[in-house]
Amino acid sequence: MAGWSLLPAFEWLQHTDLAETIRHSAALIATLEIVHLLGLTLLLGTIMMIDFTLLGWGIGRFPASKIAIELNGWTVAGLAIMLISGPLILISEAVKCYRSPAFWIKMTLLALAIAYHFTIHRKAVLAEPALRGNVKLAASVSLALWIAVALAGKGIAIFQSS
Amino acid sequence: MFLLSLCQWVDRTPLSAMLRQSNWAFPALDTVHTLGIVLVAGAIMLVDLRLLGLALRSVPITDLVARIVPATLGGFGLMLVTGGLLFASEAVKMYESPAFRIKVVLLALAGLNALIFHRTIYRDAARWGSAAVPAQARLAGLLSLALWIAIIAAGRAIAYGPGYDLG
Repeated sequence: MAGWSLLPAFEWLQHTDLAETIRHSAALIATLEIVHLLGLTLLLGTIMMIDFTLLGWGIGRFPASKIAIELNGWTVAGLAIMLISGPLILISEAVKCYRSPAFWIKMTLLALAIAYHFTIHRKAVLAEPALRGNVKLAASVSLALWIAVALAGKGIAIFQSS
Repeated sequence: MFLLSLCQWVDRTPLSAMLRQSNWAFPALDTVHTLGIVLVAGAIMLVDLRLLGLALRSVPITDLVARIVPATLGGFGLMLVTGGLLFASEAVKMYESPAFRIKVVLLALAGLNALIFHRTIYRDAARWGSAAVPAQARLAGLLSLALWIAIIAAGRAIAYGPGYDLG
């Protein structure tokens, strides 16, 4: 890894006015973290509903595609809330994040989860119930990915290199 | 003060000492508790949004409630167990935490709101059909939504109290 590092970029981020303002306000950090958690609630709540429907634990006769279409706005809203609050939290402690393995694991999982959600997962939702077995696998992967993202996020706070 | 003595007693129990001395017990319980509340509150919010006419409008409310509420009760049990253990590991600190006290009151209000909803207006829910949800039910949904948002906020705020490393 010699000679090439993202560290200067993270140091620069942490020293922007916006990052300094956030870092020096306990109230701002607390608010951002709570908003981030509420975004996750919305995101996981809606995705869980869709995936449980795909797994056959849904509501009677309602197909996952219908549930997913009706919930899509809320899923996207939850994701948007997270993608706005997350980077603001990140820049306020950019160097700490840079040094946190949990942070990089989370970013990798997040990229995978988002890509998966809008491609393979979407196809599975629309294909249901034609491809029962594959659809259940697709739903399990979705749940596992998003929960792993959430756990890695918690890991950033737990595993801190002091 | 009775509650303070009770919390002091809890802190002296072997269970409390065991939880405090373990390096992984608190983070593990905290992680399960946080993930659990996100899932439970996320599911409850879907019912609230449905009552408010903001989501899943084509799904009958009775079907949605029948599917979600039993599952959330199970999840809520898990929250009580993990939350109880987290509390037991630092009972006096929780006694002194304003955020914790607020959270307990909010939880009681959320439970009361749900109980009143199910015992009164919800009895007629099968007859709502595709018609508009009555105002009292919409109010219950709005209250529930607000209370659960506040419960999550208060729960997170406990960690900002004195004696915690904000990281």
